[in-house]
Amino acid sequence: MTDVLPAEETKQDRVVTILRGFQINWMNLRDADSGKILWQHNEDMSSPEMEHEARVPKRILKCRVVSREMNFSSVESMDRFRLEQKVLFKGRCLEEWFFEFGYVIPNSTNTWQSIIESAPESQMMPAIVLNGNVVIETKFFDGDLLITTSRVRLFYV
Amino acid sequence: MGLLSILKKLRSNNERELRLLLLGLDNAGKTTTLKQLASEDVTQVTPTAGFNIKSVLSSGFKLNVWDIGGQKKIRPYWRNYFENTDVLIYVVDCSDHQRLQETSFELAELLQDEKLRGVPLLVYANKQDLATALPASEIAQHLGLHLIRDRTWQIQACVATDGTGVKEGMEWVCKNIPVKK
Repeated sequence: MTDVLPAEETKQDRVVTILRGFQINWMNLRDADSGKILWQHNEDMSSPEMEHEARVPKRILKCRVVSREMNFSSVESMDRFRLEQKVLFKGRCLEEWFFEFGYVIPNSTNTWQSIIESAPESQMMPAIVLNGNVVIETKFFDGDLLITTSRVRLFYV
Repeated sequence: MGLLSILKKLRSNNERELRLLLLGLDNAGKTTTLKQLASEDVTQVTPTAGFNIKSVLSSGFKLNVWDIGGQKKIRPYWRNYFENTDVLIYVVDCSDHQRLQETSFELAELLQDEKLRGVPLLVYANKQDLATALPASEIAQHLGLHLIRDRTWQIQACVATDGTGVKEGMEWVCKNIPVKK
């Protein structure tokens, strides 16, 4: 189809421009009680075609409070930057975060960290069940425009 | 006192989501203060070229702490982050005598902003471990805190790198979150 609406075209161009200057620099998981990093990855995990893998020490499941942190850079400014992060178990959503950043400064590097209490140990699924079945999916938007999706599958080792 | 315990203290407030905003000149110690609150390693802190946010969730209550970079070229963007702020935390490097006037000027600008009207102010008089650091009382004078009439304020001496005074400041924050109608 060649007769794309001009407005649609502009939107798509905007996504391409933002994405070209957008990068996830690193992600980590911490025991939020001690502040200690249990897993960190220093490669760009924003490429939407790929599912990334994280090998996380099993003991993270014993942590009372866990933090997930991501650091990202953007060349372009954005007015209504937001993300939706889901923790999926076999595709089913266990946990969901919506976060609205609002404005993003051009040529900025930023971090967002979410800190959450774990389910009581009695309700926690064992590592063997969770292993390879948990995916952290993060979608980045500027307003309604989906910029990119990052998927990280967790393995408990 | 970690971020989670701060949030738990704040639950008596009926607001479901609270926002703290950390500002100050570059190298004042904003990111270090925030990391100290989360018990994280503070030896690897680098200048913030944007923002750092910590979001804490507990029993349906949310606390978001925003730390915005203080470099001169970033300061014009500060205004984008004022909205819905519950408490403003301003960090001062008390050993940086040369930029006392600059930091006073930036704070005065913040206090005049409509979007931050009436928002309680906590000033951290940071780097008290350094021999050249001015005491909190002198910093208060330089900043003209005693002339503030339109909001509650507090100044707290601290050493963000080892946590001294940080907890006391946050206790004041917890007590002074305005109750929204």
